[in-house]
Amino acid sequence: MNKVPSKKKGSVLVVGGGIGGMQAALDLADSGFRVHMVQRDPSIGGTMVMLDKTFPTGDCSMCMISPKMVEVGRHLNIDIHSPAEVVSVEGGPGDFSVRVRVAPRYVDPDKCTGCGDCEAKCPKKVSSEFEQGLGVRKAIYSLFPQAVPNTRAIDRKNCLYFMKGRCRICEKTCKAGAINFQDEGKELELNVGAIILCPGLDRYDARARGEFGLGRWKNVVTSVQFERILSASGPYKGEVKRPSDGKHPKKVAWIQCVGSRDPHNANPWCSSVCCMYATKQAIIAREHDSEIEQTIFYMEMRAFGKDFDKYVERAKNDYGVRYQRAMISVIREDPATGDLLLRYAAEDGKLVDETFGMVVLSVGLEPHRDAVEFAGTFGIETNSYRFAKTSSIEPVRTTRDGIFVTGTYQGPKDIPETVMQGSAVAGEVMALLGEARGTETITKEFPPERDLTGEEPRTGVFVCHCGINIASTVQVEKVVEAVKDLPGVVYATDTLYACSQDSQEMLKKIVREKNLNRVVVASCTPRTHELLFQETIRDAGMNKYLFDLADIREQCSWCHMGQKEAATKKAIRIVGMAIAKANLLEPLKSDAVGVTPVALVVGGGVAGMTAALSLADQGFRVSLVEKEKELGGLLRNLRHTLEGDDVREFLKGKIDEVRAHERIKVYNDAEVAKTGGFVGNFETTLTTGDVIKHGAVILATGGMEYQPDEYLYNDSDRVITQRELEGRIASGKSPGTGECYVMIQCVGSREEPNQYCSRICCQDAIKNAIALKERNPDAQVLILYRDIRTYGLREDYYRRARDLGVLFVRYEIDNKPLVESLDNRLRIRTWDYMLNRELTMDADWLVLSTGLRPHPTTGKTGEMFKAARNPDGYFLEAHVKLRPVDFPGEGIFVAGLAHAPKNLDETISQALAAAGRAGTVLSRKSLTVSGIVAKHNRDLCMSCLSCVRVCPFDSPYIDEEGRVAHNEIKCHGCGICAGICPAKAFQVNSFRDDQILAMIDAAMAEGKK
Amino acid sequence: MKPQSEQREAPSIEKPHGIPDGWEPNILAFACHYCAFAAADLAGVMRLSYPASVKVLRLPCTGKLDYIHILHAFERGADGVFVAG
Repeated sequence: MNKVPSKKKGSVLVVGGGIGGMQAALDLADSGFRVHMVQRDPSIGGTMVMLDKTFPTGDCSMCMISPKMVEVGRHLNIDIHSPAEVVSVEGGPGDFSVRVRVAPRYVDPDKCTGCGDCEAKCPKKVSSEFEQGLGVRKAIYSLFPQAVPNTRAIDRKNCLYFMKGRCRICEKTCKAGAINFQDEGKELELNVGAIILCPGLDRYDARARGEFGLGRWKNVVTSVQFERILSASGPYKGEVKRPSDGKHPKKVAWIQCVGSRDPHNANPWCSSVCCMYATKQAIIAREHDSEIEQTIFYMEMRAFGKDFDKYVERAKNDYGVRYQRAMISVIREDPATGDLLLRYAAEDGKLVDETFGMVVLSVGLEPHRDAVEFAGTFGIETNSYRFAKTSSIEPVRTTRDGIFVTGTYQGPKDIPETVMQGSAVAGEVMALLGEARGTETITKEFPPERDLTGEEPRTGVFVCHCGINIASTVQVEKVVEAVKDLPGVVYATDTLYACSQDSQEMLKKIVREKNLNRVVVASCTPRTHELLFQETIRDAGMNKYLFDLADIREQCSWCHMGQKEAATKKAIRIVGMAIAKANLLEPLKSDAVGVTPVALVVGGGVAGMTAALSLADQGFRVSLVEKEKELGGLLRNLRHTLEGDDVREFLKGKIDEVRAHERIKVYNDAEVAKTGGFVGNFETTLTTGDVIKHGAVILATGGMEYQPDEYLYNDSDRVITQRELEGRIASGKSPGTGECYVMIQCVGSREEPNQYCSRICCQDAIKNAIALKERNPDAQVLILYRDIRTYGLREDYYRRARDLGVLFVRYEIDNKPLVESLDNRLRIRTWDYMLNRELTMDADWLVLSTGLRPHPTTGKTGEMFKAARNPDGYFLEAHVKLRPVDFPGEGIFVAGLAHAPKNLDETISQALAAAGRAGTVLSRKSLTVSGIVAKHNRDLCMSCLSCVRVCPFDSPYIDEEGRVAHNEIKCHGCGICAGICPAKAFQVNSFRDDQILAMIDAAMAEGKK
Repeated sequence: MKPQSEQREAPSIEKPHGIPDGWEPNILAFACHYCAFAAADLAGVMRLSYPASVKVLRLPCTGKLDYIHILHAFERGADGVFVAG
């Protein structure tokens, strides 16, 4: 090992470009660090890009991740190295040296414009990994249409030239000259301060389970294949069809736990996500085909996440999904029809044969096949299942200092938890490298902007061929000819690739030569290319808002192939619309506001303290507000975690650390009394009278344990909660000799009015059951449950409890256990669904697994910060998948139980994530606001308050004079205010009414009769 | 299928003009930048075809749309307006 030098590096290595890695990279790059992202595949995106929709909101997966990929790809301070792998790592925290091997791509990224002409012409078809073998790609390819980087790559193993020495059609096709068969790849030496590992996952190879017939029976598919089948951009364009004959299957079955929870044949852990994705797939399948009958064969429904139970209820009640509790041991095919025969034991024990048109195997998640070797490269330890070794109190740290882990390499988990951990590692790295912030970042210098005051529009138009992507359908020269004499246009030309390096230089030169003051480029979508061109004209001394992009590729040439004339006519209209708008564009200023580099953390539980410490270590001052006299929150009642960590010692350490930290000020016996302001500049008054100015706030108001009144809790001393039992075990009072303990799960959870899973109780019960059995094997422990939800690696403890002789008996919500008091004992009666008869037990202790509730202060605090809550009273994050710690209002973040019930490790992850997100705000000297905001004209405004009511960002407000004013800092430029304002007092920059009307005129120029 | 009763009442209403051969409606679509405009892009990426007479106007959000925009489009000869967001 090298000696750790005193100077820390300001750059970070992120290994893996899935959603977790992308989140970490963006958070870090947005807060003053330079990021190197090493990705094994030719482009980033990971697993999430393959999914059709996401649970429980049904959002389109690609629509969510695509803008993030574009952001990562375009970020000045993120370098993507792909396809590449890390070869070796030396050094320690603050200063690692890393060797990276970049594999040859055979396409020069500096020259390739991503037009895809080569791919269209390539004669070699290969089974597509992205489409999971249900579709084909070419030997020169991008993984998927929205790939970032979209530089194509040649798959050497399948390329005809590499195989047989002839072809080179791509080389002849590429007008940019980007193909390079001599590419040998390269080796990079990177110097970074910290390393983040997020290599993602593999899925269990269900072909190993021959009895399910995957690969043999055509209509048996994996869940990921089914995602592709459901996807509107997938191989079947979203039609639910059978691979064997293209027919619509009437009955579809899902088989759960394929490769999971099976220590003998496959992986012992629970993959955490399959119950929910199967539910989602069953819902979407019905949405795509109303005739479908869906059956999910499962062992236990693990809907443990926020709003998951409600989702399952909806699947049952609104979408007709049948949940059949049964294990399927074999699938047989009817060779004549391709139908599949499943045999299972029904609830009453009878064997049932049922035929399905299609079967989906819900395959589990597992670490990459080379996960052990991967760990070796980085010098970190793995657990026995090849996941990176972490602990419940340090959930994102590996065994090597300065190397962090996020996502499924840490354990099976779903998207929001991966994103949360992505921000959490960012928070950890910011704390580690805080002092090196801004030392290695690049900023772009621009020439001064030319003053255009009083000038008439002088618009330049550049129409792109995009190789042949546009030009083979749209007659580009005709477009140029048709628009060159339109009002305002002083110059019009065509260009082979508008986005290529040399075209950009040419564009700048023409702007100067022709003295242009508006630019229109007609090429592809503004969603990916607007920023690029805006930067180019800014480089030529123009205000970047004097630009418009006409989309004549995605929305014209690609949709109207073979209709040259119609497409050309449409392209002329589209360019005309852009010119009409451009002529009316005005230079806009991007305002900037200063940031108070201080954080306010509301709540002094473990979430609040963790966030406060992370922020303080990052270098910011923190005010920590706690309602009680002591710090620690709900965790003070806990002694050990399921994994055996000593919670008391951990908590004492945290409290001491917080108290001792020079940058943290704790306010005990204090609550928020009033608050105001906006991101970067809040001012909050406490009930103690203290006034705090801060730039960001983290709401960690925590939760409460449910106080039961069920099952004689208030009548008998022998009825206790898990927390009370934990105390008895710790003090040695339990278990007494020969004692019998009966536990009841889901007390106060998963039933009206609290129709949600409290997530922690199954593990809590199992933790205590194991402790009882370990202290006295003769103690009898019986757990009455609805579903045991020991998700992820926690499944080990469920197995251990069973091995120790803990008995599990299932009950159903409409047939709950009955309890009566008998002197010093309790008699419990319940229906046993396995034996199909009633059981009667006499127990010494009845232990209730009580759920969680949000803390009563959550509502009040939420109202003050305008943070919404869900019907159960928990804070509602900005987006359940991709913004799990943000609120819609910027600069406000959430962590811990205030967000939803969760375990200690998850609370810590989320707190670190909130700190990381807050760090991206606090680390900036000023926040720049986009020029595209709504402008408020007070002279027209009648203060009718329509805008105040509809604005999702609270930017219009009532000022001291009692009239509507507008805070542009909070404005996102959506223009809902402009749409609703009866007086037209709001106009959105670059989308003003006169601009839109001019575009309509241009669009309809020939439509008038 | 129309219910029978509705079909019987139909004669009292003026019959719509027949559509001339080869006529294509002139349609203007107002699309939200974040969803419908992105969907229109995806349609292109997937090479899905629709009539070339459909033109898309990008808005920051369909909440921005005003009556005057729709009326103006009809005034200028649009046969249909499509709002998606």
